[in-house]
This record gives sequence, C-alpha cells and structure tokens, in this order.
Amino acid sequence: MYLVIVGGGKVGAPLASALINEGHEVFVLDNDPDVVTDLQRELGMIATIGEATSVRALQDAGAARAGALIAVTNSDEDNLAACQLARTNFDVPRTIAIAHSPENAELFDLAGVDLVVSATDLVLANLATALPAHPLIKLMPLADRTMELVAIKLPASGTAIGRTLSEITLPYGSKIVLMITSEGHSKDPDSDPLIEAEDQIIAMSPANSTAELWELLTELR
Amino acid sequence: MNVIIVGAGNLGSSLARKLSDLGHRITIIEKNPKAVSLLPRGRVDSGAMTIVHRDGSTSAGMLEAGISDADVFVAATGKDSLNGLAAQRAKLIYRVEEVMTVVRDEGARTLYDSLGISTINKASLASDYFVTMLTEEA
Repeated sequence: MYLVIVGGGKVGAPLASALINEGHEVFVLDNDPDVVTDLQRELGMIATIGEATSVRALQDAGAARAGALIAVTNSDEDNLAACQLARTNFDVPRTIAIAHSPENAELFDLAGVDLVVSATDLVLANLATALPAHPLIKLMPLADRTMELVAIKLPASGTAIGRTLSEITLPYGSKIVLMITSEGHSKDPDSDPLIEAEDQIIAMSPANSTAELWELLTELR
Repeated sequence: MNVIIVGAGNLGSSLARKLSDLGHRITIIEKNPKAVSLLPRGRVDSGAMTIVHRDGSTSAGMLEAGISDADVFVAATGKDSLNGLAAQRAKLIYRVEEVMTVVRDEGARTLYDSLGISTINKASLASDYFVTMLTEEA
C-alpha cells in the first residue's frame, strides 16, 4: 500500500523503516531539512521537505493515491490538520494520528480521524505493566472512547479471592470477557469460575466506571 | 454577545476593539503576556475587555475564558492548524453557536465549510477588495 507519513522524527523515521520492511511503499513529509537528509541517507529517496499542513505539500507527496496518511509530528494541531486535509482534499481512505495530549485524542476522534493513538495512554499502559503496584492496563478504547478494554491483575490478598465470579456485583455496563491464571491458563467467565490470587481479568468497562471496577476487584482484605 | 478571540495580533486586536465599540463582551486569549500591546488598554483596565494568558487551543484556556457562555468564538492566531484545532474544540466539544477561524491556506476552506466553521482569509479578502475598487474605477 502507498502510505504518506507526516513527520519524520523520533516516531516517523522508525515507523517508515518498519513499514518499508513490511513491503509498503512509503513517503515521508517533514519541514526540517536535516530530518529529510537523514531519512534519505538511511532509506533512499522517500522523503521530502514540506509543511504537514500545506495542501500543496500533501499533493506533492502523492496524497491523492495514498491508501492511508499517518500523522506523527510533535504538534497535535498539525497532525489533526494533515489528516483532515488529506481526507477532504485528496479522499485518503484512512487517516491515523498521534495525539500527545489526552484532550486532543478525544477531539481527534470527534473530528473524524480514523485511528487516534493517544501518547499518554500508551505511556500509562507501559507504566502499568512495569509497575506491579498499579495493575490496571488500558488495552484499547472502544465505541468512541465511551467504553474501554482493560486488564486488571488481582492482588493475592484481595477480598475477591476465593469467591466465584457471580458473587461479585460489577459496576453497571461492565463485563468480564476473559480471566487468565498466573500460569497463563484461561478461564471462561460464563462458567462462573473461582477467582484465584494473581488472576488477570480482562474486562470491557464504561470509561467512567473503570476506576470503580478496579477498586472493587483489587480491594484488600 | 459574549465573544472569545484567540490571538491578540493585528486581526484579533482590531476585531476586539471594533466589537467592543458595538457593546459586546470580549475575552481575548493570548499565550504571550508581552503580545497584548495592540489591545485598547483603557477597555482592559475598566474591565470591559478581559485578557486570559493561556494557550487558547486547550480546554483549560477556553474554560478560563468562559467558553460555556460564549456566543462567538474566533481563532485568530498566526498558525492555521492551531486555529483549526481551537475552532473545532469550540464547535465540537463546547458547542459554541458561531465559530470562525483565520486561514492562510485556501485549501483548508473546504474542510471548515464542511464543519460549519466560517473562514476568514485575509489575503483573499484584501485582493477581492482591491479588485472591486479597480473594477469600480474602470
């Protein structure tokens, strides 16, 4: 697929390289001549100097035949503008953008960007896996961010341990979709399994009740 | 009307002054405390015009400027994409009735038209004006 990447910096350069290795045809647009020179030295003539938010530059980058546009500059407003200009002026079928601020992630969704990668959520998810004291991992936003898929690790001394799943009253709208034991075996939530120490629970949760769900499942004795 | 203007440059300041003359309540959001010299100082001192020193494209800046009571929101910074983001936040998140944005790149106009955001292109307005003057002379 022909892909236009806007922003060839810390995210864009390795992304371009990875997508080329996967067999895609990639073109990178960046307003910094040094960045473009580096990319050309590294990956060949696949980058040019241009403003992310200039219709003319997007045209020169071949946006009209692109299967997707991926906006990964350091500036949220430029990422949004690049995606929207690609959509309205060149009918690019799929637009993808990184949002560095969480409130912009929400706005990008509303403003029609097809896939929004929230930098804060990414860092939080990685932080959660690295810090066992904070065992809540947000895996994926669902349904326009009104819902989310989360993973919660149950503490050994939690009040939920030793009970069966049906004995726990979940917050309204929450649903446990999978349980995984510390040995990596799965338990079917529909079979009302016993909750054991160190179980990992994968749940679908309304975004505003995730905190409540987490407190319920990790409450200590 | 309650009017919020982001950016106290030439256009933002001039618009603020004129709308204030007509009796509207004006709040200017300008990130740079040194960049408000074009605003009428008397109006600011008397409280007829308010300045908020925040980033006008963020929720925090907009809320401090009273976005929930705003009838009109004008994005008039020197950066098209920042204006676009601010205008869309005002429209989509805070549901401001009348939202306008300054654009330099004519290519962005289709986009904002489709979102119900009015665009102001200074270069295009000025050239239209000159053409009108020249045509009338002839």
